[in-house]
Amino acid sequence: MARFLASRALFASFVLLAVVTIVFVLMYGVGDPCAAKLGPNASPDRVQECRATYGFDRPLLVQYASYVGVGACVRRSSDAYHEAIDRRGRCGLLQGDLGESVLHGDEVMGVILTRLPRTLLLGAMAIFFEILIGLTVGLVAAVRRNTWIDTGIMGVAFLGISAPTFLTGLVFLYFFAFRLGIFPVGGYGDDALDHVWHATLPAFTLAIIGAATYARIMRGEMIETLRSDFLRTARAKGLSPARVVLAHGARNALLPIVTLMGLHLPIVVSGAIITESIYAWPGIGRLALESIVNQDAFVVMGVVLMVSLAVQVGSFLADVAVATLDPRVRLSEG
Amino acid sequence: MRWTPRTESTVGAVALALFALAALAAVVFAPPPPAAPLYEGSGAGRPQRGGTFVFHHETNVRSLDPHTAFDELSSMAIRLLFDGLLDYDEHTRLVPSLAAQMPEQSSDGLRFTFRLREGVRFHNGRELEAEDVRFSLEHMLHPDVPSQGSTYYQGIAGLEDFRERRTEHISGIRVVDRHTVEITLSAPDQTFLAAMAMPFAYPVAREAYEGEGADPAFRPIGTGPYTLDEWERGVRLTFERFDGYWQPGKPYVDRMVYLENLTRDVAVMRFRNGDLDAAHRFSPADYLFFSGSAAWRPQVIRDAKVNLWGFAMNTELPPFDDVHVRRAVASAMDRAGWSRARSGRLRETGQPIPPGLLGYDADTTDQHRYDLARAREEMQLAGLPDGWPEEVVLWNTSSDTSRFYAELAQADLARIGIRLRINALSFATWLEETGKPRTAQCMLAGWNMDFPDPSNFLDSLFHSRSAREANSTNRAFYRNPALDALLDRARVEPDLGRREQMYRDASRLLVQDAPWAFMWNDEWLEVTQPYVRGYRMNKVFSQDYRFVWLDLPRRRIARRYGAHLPRGLAGIVPLPLARGQER
Repeated sequence: MARFLASRALFASFVLLAVVTIVFVLMYGVGDPCAAKLGPNASPDRVQECRATYGFDRPLLVQYASYVGVGACVRRSSDAYHEAIDRRGRCGLLQGDLGESVLHGDEVMGVILTRLPRTLLLGAMAIFFEILIGLTVGLVAAVRRNTWIDTGIMGVAFLGISAPTFLTGLVFLYFFAFRLGIFPVGGYGDDALDHVWHATLPAFTLAIIGAATYARIMRGEMIETLRSDFLRTARAKGLSPARVVLAHGARNALLPIVTLMGLHLPIVVSGAIITESIYAWPGIGRLALESIVNQDAFVVMGVVLMVSLAVQVGSFLADVAVATLDPRVRLSEG
Repeated sequence: MRWTPRTESTVGAVALALFALAALAAVVFAPPPPAAPLYEGSGAGRPQRGGTFVFHHETNVRSLDPHTAFDELSSMAIRLLFDGLLDYDEHTRLVPSLAAQMPEQSSDGLRFTFRLREGVRFHNGRELEAEDVRFSLEHMLHPDVPSQGSTYYQGIAGLEDFRERRTEHISGIRVVDRHTVEITLSAPDQTFLAAMAMPFAYPVAREAYEGEGADPAFRPIGTGPYTLDEWERGVRLTFERFDGYWQPGKPYVDRMVYLENLTRDVAVMRFRNGDLDAAHRFSPADYLFFSGSAAWRPQVIRDAKVNLWGFAMNTELPPFDDVHVRRAVASAMDRAGWSRARSGRLRETGQPIPPGLLGYDADTTDQHRYDLARAREEMQLAGLPDGWPEEVVLWNTSSDTSRFYAELAQADLARIGIRLRINALSFATWLEETGKPRTAQCMLAGWNMDFPDPSNFLDSLFHSRSAREANSTNRAFYRNPALDALLDRARVEPDLGRREQMYRDASRLLVQDAPWAFMWNDEWLEVTQPYVRGYRMNKVFSQDYRFVWLDLPRRRIARRYGAHLPRGLAGIVPLPLARGQER
């Protein structure tokens, strides 16, 4: 298990490094955040001063090294760039420093940490809806396979997978919030209960594709499991149908679903970019969009890093969960 | 009945169809969206104090520093936090604000003496003094400060030396005593007082710029009716009433909430649900809804915006270096068609000065109107009866509306043999590239008023001084010494009648030479809730909500903000969850 964990961690850090590098190069090519911030009438001296403060005037490789936090953080002179680092007290990714937002005039980490809990709330609620709806419906379809219930459910699930989030989001907003007035029309709310209330409709929107996917997979797995010999034995022993399906069948059918859940986490986070924009939900998805529009490079990089971290953590958790649920995986890992 | 795979799929299809029908029925039979305002006012005759006013914009505020922020949505917030020495009344006339009276002007028109109101306090409690006025102007005009304002104050004596760092202070700004400041110009300038009413000249407290933690863009200190309580960047700004405000009894509202980055659709739905107190900038469907709804009509404010839109042609580049081609374009544009395509929100014009400003002349429009025969005649005169052989590049911004306009232009100019290719760019790149000489052939260009004077349009758009190596606002790169001389004389002319005539002459000259095809002035539409009172559209400052008041029953005022669970659940969810339900 330890070897497995170590190899996963090593792989994850390589992936993160690759992501950082690609995003860094892309953002570097997009434009000058200082020019965007100061506007067309800024004197060249002032733009230069800003570029010096954020280190944009240094060669690409030096900027990259200091962003990652290798070597270049060492103070060589007392310039604006190093003064900014002194203020933050940290330097580079390796020290947990994501740089400073040009637009917000604040540490990127702080900006992201303000927004992250909201996206997590939205994501958690979306995952809850996905699992609740997807697994229940999938189970029912499998048990009632080849009946009109099954075909109907799978037809609706197919619609769910096909409908793009930007469309369902707008339709739900218009219908459930505006026409029926059941939910608030976007926004974040004032207190904890209010936040959950405001998150319900966006979370449901975000959950549709996932729920439909889970329903289809759950159905397939469940049908396979229900045909297997050990369930026939369980039935022959006289166990109740509910116990056979839920305690024996569902547990086995869940294995691929758990793997899928881990991989689904990043889809939830990236789906949040669209959902948050539609519902004016101030999470990191909307932050990413605002920062791209305003060329706030460090924030964009920070958000991308967070998302890829979520992917890594998600798939890692899925591996651990599968190992826990399935003794064969545990044994083969030794 | 025996189940077979065939019957299964048929039944499944029927189930799906039923599901779709049920969804359709739900849409058809669900209660319609609110067609009329949900909340009425209580009918109070006098301004009431209290409540929270919630408004929005579709993008984010960049800065609250009046010296550097130069965009509409920042100034919506800045107007809550700051006051100017001068301001505008509802007829767009200059009136004193922080100045106790209109400034005294010396007989040669060069020296202005501003006497400040006594007892005006900044948000930090310190009294406003003449020294603050000098500090503010010098700070804004300092070479290190990237203010776009510097162009408006070029006439102040000694400015050049100051900007070249030869002097520590601007010699033309003199503090006479604690409450008097004197500003001397190097040449008479009839636009100077208008410039003093621009946010660039708003007095700011020195403390906002100096010392530990000072950050004027995010932590401003002004003398305005509200103080900044909280700003979560990109999400919302919250303002609290400033109790030490110099106008007795004002402002009326306790709290102002400015929501950023709210898309148009969401904003309108929220507004119609009663969660927003004012709305502006509409999609075509919402524009038609509000302009046609009888229930909303009393709440709709509809007026011509003082701005100008046109098709700018680079006079340095072919084919637009030929005046006949430019005139042909001016006659080929089907302005009425454009307006129809935009739900009637464009008011056709044929001249550079918008209605309502000095020099607007209802008689000069005939040359810049749709007349295809005349357009073809002009192409003949240019020696191009079959059109221009090459593609012409239209430099455009990438927004949906711009693209729409560009396609209309493509269709109109194709009729006279000019084939346009659209080059779509981000707004920032568009500004930069079209501001360089000999770069962009043609573009759709607009200008919003900074201050209500024709010079703001004609000097900025057509004076040769505004055609520069970079950041030109004269994007047609039109250079005409006769026009320059006329504009320079008009700028300093003290006699109103003569000044008006000069701008009329300038306008005719521009119509003749057609560096732009003058096209339209925008029609502006905004809506407020029935209980929002005391709001008047300000032609200079958009969405100027500083002195609105809320005519709501007391109980609802207290619970105004955070009105959620609006209608559907009101009967299901027990109060106190269903806040904001009382009328």
